[in-house]
Amino acid sequence: MRNVAVLGVGMYRFGMGDVPNAVMAREAGLAALRDANLSFRDVQAAYVGHIFAPVMSAVRVMKEFGLTGLPVQHVENASATGSAAFREACLQVASGRYDVVMALGFDKMTTMIQQTTQGTAPENMEDAILPAAFFALWATRRMHERGMKPEHLAKIAAKNWNNAALNPMAQRQTQEQMTPERVLRSRMVAWPLTTMMSCPMGDGAACAIVGSVDLARKLRPERPVVRVVASALQTEKYAPGHLFMGPVVGPAQMTIDTAAQAYNEAGIGPEDLDLVQVHDAFAIEELEYYELLGLCKPGEAEKCIDLGDFELHGRLPVSTDGGLIARGHPGGPTGLAQIWETTLQLRGEAGKRQVNGARVGLCHMMGGGSVCVIHILQRD
Amino acid sequence: MIQKRRVPIKGGYFSIPEDPLEPPRLLGSRCQRCGEHYFPRRAICARADCLSDDLVDVALGPEGTLYSFTFVHMPLFGSSNLEHMDGYGVGQIDLPEGPRVQLPLAGHKEDYFIGQRVIAELDKMREDGDTEVVIVRFRPTGDKK
Ligand SMILES: [Zn+2]
Repeated sequence: MRNVAVLGVGMYRFGMGDVPNAVMAREAGLAALRDANLSFRDVQAAYVGHIFAPVMSAVRVMKEFGLTGLPVQHVENASATGSAAFREACLQVASGRYDVVMALGFDKMTTMIQQTTQGTAPENMEDAILPAAFFALWATRRMHERGMKPEHLAKIAAKNWNNAALNPMAQRQTQEQMTPERVLRSRMVAWPLTTMMSCPMGDGAACAIVGSVDLARKLRPERPVVRVVASALQTEKYAPGHLFMGPVVGPAQMTIDTAAQAYNEAGIGPEDLDLVQVHDAFAIEELEYYELLGLCKPGEAEKCIDLGDFELHGRLPVSTDGGLIARGHPGGPTGLAQIWETTLQLRGEAGKRQVNGARVGLCHMMGGGSVCVIHILQRD
Repeated sequence: MIQKRRVPIKGGYFSIPEDPLEPPRLLGSRCQRCGEHYFPRRAICARADCLSDDLVDVALGPEGTLYSFTFVHMPLFGSSNLEHMDGYGVGQIDLPEGPRVQLPLAGHKEDYFIGQRVIAELDKMREDGDTEVVIVRFRPTGDKK
């Protein structure tokens, strides 16, 4: 990706509340504008992600900032919605068409639950099955093939809960230290996944403003420039055994291929990463992505978890902001929350959860098991 | 008791045999050009090196092999069958023709193991007037039932 920098980031804390989308989105957007040292007048285009809000919500919510006539485009790609909106904004800057583009995501996942439990006639046959089951099937297979234990999943979840406790924007804020034992004692959702290994329902908003590298230097000369050095988005490639029904997880190869494209574009490898965010809607996903993103060798995820490799001060910290499991996963803003976290970390502004000397960060999201989006950010 | 007329939760996915003792089949497709089988039905072959539109309808199963399983501790969405209130099994089943499918399983977690032979059956979700709404699921063939 040529000449694209993150100019500013902002969030509205994820959680359960009665705050309208327009208010959450406005607050996140204004925070990003302040962070970038820009006015909304300077924003030349906006890519707006939401999954559950009604038709036209994107362009309506954008009116909160003022009616400047700018082009507004709604983007939707299931859980990867915010990441896809960010990608579109980056591509516009890279193409040279615009200098300042906003990527905004908001959602109230609480409304989706009301919608899906309303009807008794599912749109697709697999809708009868709880989505968590599809991830649980992955976990059972892993236990069979690699000897994974529920304790490994509990360790990942406990790590993410404890990271979230250091993140003021996280949905789940545990007062006492979270332990794998407490995670294992929480209610079983779908064997072997418990509620504390699964992301919560929630609402929230997040925003990132991107622009040229020169502009980033001019707007905030005192601050290191955070460049977007790779943006990759892929969908599934057919292979025998492909699951067409209940495609929540997606084929493992899709993450391997998308990561290869991103590493190639950035001219780096996984060994150059200082921190990583992944689509950890369920702890088994984070475990699998350690291997699929090349953070450890195939078959070694369990060993690395036992060594604490991916803890906040381990070899390569993963889900530093709490991940989907504990920072939360409202839908539209989730991918942008990863950009928020990575940008703060690379600037050295992540407070108590700062990864010392972080220079390169990777953000990975999956949408409905059918699309994978990866961005790599790098500090100059 | 008269057997109520059975209707699928969603049409086009599985057959409902006249004989209640006969197992249902999954409704799939076969590519006439490359031989790949699909579930559910599709009009165009998904293989990047094929993409033929010469596909025919075929019936798949009814037996398969369990590739993975779980047990969900929530009621099955859309079901008022008391058997589903405390939860239900879900499996990934490899069909002999090739496709892997994800569908509910009869029984409990202790009944399942990877590599197990399973067979399709119809399962009542609810009654709707004089009809019975059914979904297709699999059960272990060694199941004493
Ligand atoms: Zn074919």
